[in-house]
Amino acid sequence: MYTIGKIASLAGVSPDTLRYYEKEHLIAPASKTGAGYRLYNDEAVRRIRFIKTAQHCGFSLSDIQALLTLKQAERACCRDVRSLAIEKKLHIAHKLRALQAMSRALDELIRGCEGGAAPTDECPILAALENSQHEVS
Amino acid sequence: MTVRIEVIAAPGCGKCAGAQGELRAIAASVLGEDRLIWREVSVLEELDYAVSLGVLSMPAIAVNGELKFSSLPTPEQFRTLLTTLEAG
Repeated sequence: MYTIGKIASLAGVSPDTLRYYEKEHLIAPASKTGAGYRLYNDEAVRRIRFIKTAQHCGFSLSDIQALLTLKQAERACCRDVRSLAIEKKLHIAHKLRALQAMSRALDELIRGCEGGAAPTDECPILAALENSQHEVS
Repeated sequence: MTVRIEVIAAPGCGKCAGAQGELRAIAASVLGEDRLIWREVSVLEELDYAVSLGVLSMPAIAVNGELKFSSLPTPEQFRTLLTTLEAG
């Protein structure tokens, strides 16, 4: 069994992160000492690595909760997990598209400004942002 | 005028395949076979197209290039949409 400090160091996360995972019902200590200190087993180390790898693939903590629920659900199958992964890929593709649009908008602003020593009230970038017809939501 | 209905889903989606037959039959009965263009879109093969439609979950249904359902509609919901389309 590991203390929170030991398992955090083994898994490469902070003790605060582990407490947060616990609050989000992603992990729970296997037991507690008489003094109330959390104790974790090897399964917890595997669970933390699962969470970290899933986060690396773009899954949020609530997605990970869904993945872990599927993992333990008797009637779930690989297809269900794959669907979640495909939906995550769709979300990422949407974000990429939005970022590309931002990048193009910035290109346009940068092209319109030579960046000389003119005062900022003559700056074409600030003027373009100020005069934008875009709706502010 | 033809109506293009696209079902955007992941390949191998069991619930999508099951429901598609029923939805297609509804579309054919409301619009008529000759006016219906029915297409099954694999989200993996046409990811950019799915993104351009605004698809975030599956299965989704687009009508004439516009996302109408972000999840599988009930037969009633689908029929209502097509009937509205006919009226409009």
